[in-house]
Amino acid sequence: MKPVAGIGLRSPHLAEIGRDRPAAGFLEIHAENHLGGSPAGQAIERLRESYELSIHAVGLSLGSADDLDEAHLARVAALVRRLKPALVSDHLSWSVHGGRYFNDLLPLPYTEEALEVVVRNVGCLQEALGRQVLIENPSCYLAFGHSTLTEPEFLAELVRRSGCGLLLDLNNVVVTAHNLRLDPCDWLSGLPGEAITEYHLAGHAVNDADGEPILIDDHGSRVGDEAWALFGEAVRRYGARPTLIEWDTDIPALSVLLEEAAKAEQVIQHAESDAARAA
Amino acid sequence: MQNPMPLALPDLQAAFAAHVAGGDRADLAAAVVGDSISAEARLRIYRHHVAYSLGSALAATFATVHALVGEAFFRSMAQRFIGQTLPTQPVLTEYGAGFPAFVAGYEPAASLPYLEDVARLDWALNVAFHSPADRRLTAADLAGIAPERLPSLSIAVPAGTALIGSCYPLHRIWNASQPGASAEAVDLSAGRANLLVLRRADDAAFIVLDAGEAAFVASVVEGTSLEIAAERATSAGPSFDLSTAFARLLALEAFAAPQQKLGDGPLKAPG
Amino acid sequence: MTKTRIAIASALAAALVLPVAAQAQGNTEKCYGISKAGKNDCQTATSSCAGTSKKDAQGDAWLSVPKGACEKIVGGKLTAAKG
Repeated sequence: MKPVAGIGLRSPHLAEIGRDRPAAGFLEIHAENHLGGSPAGQAIERLRESYELSIHAVGLSLGSADDLDEAHLARVAALVRRLKPALVSDHLSWSVHGGRYFNDLLPLPYTEEALEVVVRNVGCLQEALGRQVLIENPSCYLAFGHSTLTEPEFLAELVRRSGCGLLLDLNNVVVTAHNLRLDPCDWLSGLPGEAITEYHLAGHAVNDADGEPILIDDHGSRVGDEAWALFGEAVRRYGARPTLIEWDTDIPALSVLLEEAAKAEQVIQHAESDAARAA
Repeated sequence: MQNPMPLALPDLQAAFAAHVAGGDRADLAAAVVGDSISAEARLRIYRHHVAYSLGSALAATFATVHALVGEAFFRSMAQRFIGQTLPTQPVLTEYGAGFPAFVAGYEPAASLPYLEDVARLDWALNVAFHSPADRRLTAADLAGIAPERLPSLSIAVPAGTALIGSCYPLHRIWNASQPGASAEAVDLSAGRANLLVLRRADDAAFIVLDAGEAAFVASVVEGTSLEIAAERATSAGPSFDLSTAFARLLALEAFAAPQQKLGDGPLKAPG
Repeated sequence: MTKTRIAIASALAAALVLPVAAQAQGNTEKCYGISKAGKNDCQTATSSCAGTSKKDAQGDAWLSVPKGACEKIVGGKLTAAKG
């Protein structure tokens, strides 16, 4: 897939996108919102004429020590077969334990034990789908004391052992780095750049915990300056990739999303022309 | 403050699950790095997110219940429900099947005896909306059948169909709870309602049935022949008019298209 | 064939040619309660809730009273039999 800027497709915009087909590099949907038979599913199938699709799963729980939920995996696989997306992804996190689903991207300790679990689950997922999947770095609000790897080291090792690609969310890097007192540029430099297949951009909120600012990945505003700067840095270092604007809370007018995508597109174009000049 | 024996991943996830469900776990907090933001405060962010997002999911599915009781009351009620019934899978539109029964037994809502029925209606609309829009039975499908064979047919209803009976004027309560509804009061003693919830081409909706029509549809759903459905309808509503009712239900696309050609043996229900 | 059965057969057959059933089915009857947007698609786990890090969720349920459109629903018995 070419490095273009796309937007997250959310139901408030579905009718407008279906009608006007605005220019957007690709559309990304959340798998878990489209596993039933709602009219939205039919509308998205029709959008395949105009857009490349990306399916972003949020509930496969690839970090669960429990085995993957086979029934859910089968439903996601059927959706992937039906929509034939260019990209498929989920997160480096877990959300299922003992058959109960916690609607969150819960953090993992970065240990050899957890790595083996994620490698096994990503392998099962890739086998079920018959294709490579991308794994996204989560927003973290805590770290475990017994972690033996950094998050970039964990991701690099996951890529090496499972053959998965990476979905690099730059806002999540900003959020995690702030909350865990890390340097975002250092964080970035530890990644296997060639495995990065997609970028995510979103806004975050600032809240307080114990009277100190903590960043919350709420996807409820425009992309922040720090995430834009880090995106520029990532594109310079690793190259342009398909880039998504995500917005899930207080969803704005479609035009605002498209403006943000146009901004990302400029960064991509700039990098592409630089690369062409260098070649 | 390093934990001497780190929790193995299954134990850590069990402890985290218990924490998210509301239990404080010292072993979990000990495994988390705290600094000027304590381990406990960091852990609480996840607990709050799970509770809040599931409450929001229930508020979206049970929008009419939410409008009736308001945000604060709904959040409290949802919290109790979430505390006893977490989702078992990640599709949030499929979470909340047990909420109407929970509402029925929720003591603080006892002054709103119709609330359970409203919750059942919200749930049925949600299920209908997320059901596949398979082809529907048309008058043309039946046109080739000899009239004397029609009474012995049994026909199916599409996925997502639900019949909701209430002692209360549920359709009026529903209408009064919509955004922009008039301030006009609804009299609870205005009588019972039978509502048929349907998945339509681009949405889900419900219609009001009279007692005879409701008995007819209930019988069809049960899988009886049209003849038995008609007999039950006539005893439930003496003014039941089979031709009008059947024509109305066909026009509403309330029945599923047959999976085999009609007229070849007994008509089978799809699915 | 009994007399009732014949009546049922002809009533059903008549329904098939009534204008209301014969019209192209995108029916014209006014329906209540149309459910359109999947509002739930914003609650998926990919983002976190702002404003929830400060205090433990939700006060005491027993202190809260319903305050909404229910104020418009009047009359009837307070504890009625379920339908």
